[in-house]
Amino acid sequence: MLLVSVLLVGCENGHKFVKKTAFKDTDKMVLTFAGPVDESWASNVRNFSAYEEPDPDIVLTIKETTLSPDKTQVTLVFADPLNTGEAHIISATNILSEGQDLGAAVLTVKKLYIGVLMTIFIGAALINNFVFTKYLGLCVFFGTSQKRGTAVGMGVVFTIVMVFAAVMAWGLYQFVLKPYQLTFLNVVVFIGLVSLSVQGVDTILRKVNPMLFKAFGVYLVLVIANCIAIAVPLILADNEYSGWESFALALGAGLGFLIALFLMACVRERLELAQVPPSFRGLPIAFVTAGLFALAFLGFSGLSIY
Amino acid sequence: MDPVLVKLALAGVATLGCIGLFFGVGLAMAAQKFHVEPDPKVEEVLHTLAGAQ
Repeated sequence: MLLVSVLLVGCENGHKFVKKTAFKDTDKMVLTFAGPVDESWASNVRNFSAYEEPDPDIVLTIKETTLSPDKTQVTLVFADPLNTGEAHIISATNILSEGQDLGAAVLTVKKLYIGVLMTIFIGAALINNFVFTKYLGLCVFFGTSQKRGTAVGMGVVFTIVMVFAAVMAWGLYQFVLKPYQLTFLNVVVFIGLVSLSVQGVDTILRKVNPMLFKAFGVYLVLVIANCIAIAVPLILADNEYSGWESFALALGAGLGFLIALFLMACVRERLELAQVPPSFRGLPIAFVTAGLFALAFLGFSGLSIY
Repeated sequence: MDPVLVKLALAGVATLGCIGLFFGVGLAMAAQKFHVEPDPKVEEVLHTLAGAQ
């Protein structure tokens, strides 16, 4: 419960009279006040200035401001589209409410953290699906997508191992490699981590749940040979993701791989019965199918969430 | 050689060594704790079968 509330509660604002700040569309911000503010104050563009948090010297141009009919919401319209991935700082001059001066405010506008996590998750699973748009992990992908059961087994095992490995990779990267300036050893350490988590899951599963081990044992070893398993830690290190973001990325990558495997297995099961020209039988037609899937997944690139 | 680089290299060796040792010991302990007696029958059957692969 606590975690959820921490995730859901967005940011604190620098002024008591400001209830909420949020992005709207691609070029607007909405400031919600606790009570009505004066129109003369709200409609003057010069009372507000905004910049992206990392670049305080680049002041964004505000085209106009509008006040909602109940006078509690001010919408800032910007001349250019906003980079909603970054936090923005808005400074407002002395807020006037019914003639009263409530002091100046410095406000932070950023996306809700859960929204950021969802973006990373959906991004890794669909928009930048590792198999169909980045062409990673193809060897395991073609090796285990002949039957639906195998495909799902591989996908599930991969997701579990990936999440373990990614969270450990995040911890090691942030708390060991970066402080000691050893980031050039990323690849070596991350490969070791993946093998470690595979070996760990193997050892523990063998004892704790032999049935599951029997079903998953074969695929466990294959996870080491999967290039997605090394791509995910490298990406999270490159983008300086936090722990939760790394978790979302790994989960997205795993589920994306599972989706890819399952879709491919469904098609390949049917291809067994189809009349394929002899020269295309087996892997060639599978590659053609994967190409068509990749084309279809391009459709997700226009998807924008949150 | 630049003493800074030497220091970096030594720190790298030491840190990776520590990480390796830590996880190695961890895995060894896990292997001991979750030890499973292998069934001798499995070995026997595998031995009797042709098993080219």
